[in-house]
Amino acid sequence: MSNGGSPNIRALWLRNGAVWLALLLLLALSVGLAYSPLGGLNLAANLSIAAIMIGVVMFYFMELRRDSPLVRLTALGGVLWLLIMFWLTLNDYFTRLS
Amino acid sequence: MSDVAHANAAQGGSEPTEPWNDVREETNAATFGMWLFLGTELLFFGGLFLAYTVTWVTHPKGFVEAARKTDIWFGTVNTVVLFTSALMMAMAVRGAETGSRSLAWRALASTAALGAIFLIIEGFEFSKNVDQNLVPGPAFPINEQGAEIFFSLYWIMTVLHAIHLIIGVILVARFALLMRSAPLDIPDLPAYGLYWQFVTTIWIVFYPLLYLIGRAP
Repeated sequence: MSNGGSPNIRALWLRNGAVWLALLLLLALSVGLAYSPLGGLNLAANLSIAAIMIGVVMFYFMELRRDSPLVRLTALGGVLWLLIMFWLTLNDYFTRLS
Repeated sequence: MSDVAHANAAQGGSEPTEPWNDVREETNAATFGMWLFLGTELLFFGGLFLAYTVTWVTHPKGFVEAARKTDIWFGTVNTVVLFTSALMMAMAVRGAETGSRSLAWRALASTAALGAIFLIIEGFEFSKNVDQNLVPGPAFPINEQGAEIFFSLYWIMTVLHAIHLIIGVILVARFALLMRSAPLDIPDLPAYGLYWQFVTTIWIVFYPLLYLIGRAP
């Protein structure tokens, strides 16, 4: 049994603290880009950063990097269904817009 | 119960519930089940993202004009609060895993507290928006088409997220109390950790959609 001061716990704080710091830096970058004149690409830039943040959370905080292939596939499965929903719906809307 | 499970329980660990042979198996099953549930949750919130995309493309002008009215300070501070709670949740799960009871329950209590702080800040944000009549209806201040749809989506998305967070705060607070005496290898804990992180990732998508749109000069 280890307690708050053991090297094990210290390493955990260092690793997860670094992940947290990375998320905050990405957040600052996101805000900075939102106020920059990017000629309409602001949302694309912000969503790209959001995708990186989600990757960081899933990989480190949700421990996907330690999970079995089955669990990783399940996580990806949700994204697959989401893409199908977007694909079919936007096909319809975007071809009828004009 | 298997011999392994008896030995684990004898050492102060959890006893597996039926039909699991040992706690590790039960933990893996709970984790897998939670990911399946999160897949359905992703589609649930995905419908809102989809509605957002379609309205934004069909009414870009009113959408952006309305989006400028949200308060970036509330949104950004709450993002920091949520990231910190996600850090605490990750520490709680790993703390329980490495056998540190004090870290596990304190980190869980911090997670629940930060979740509550998020909700309080969001309450102030909601009240400010209501004061400015940013609620779809006769008193809505922006006349552009699509502006009211933006705020309809704003309210639906933030309130649904808040409901998820309220459920999370209650569950995590319960685990924090349990962790002070119960065995550290509670099979459901990593799964509830995943739920909390998921609620954070949903907010990561909400943040640019609700608070960062239309800020560029």
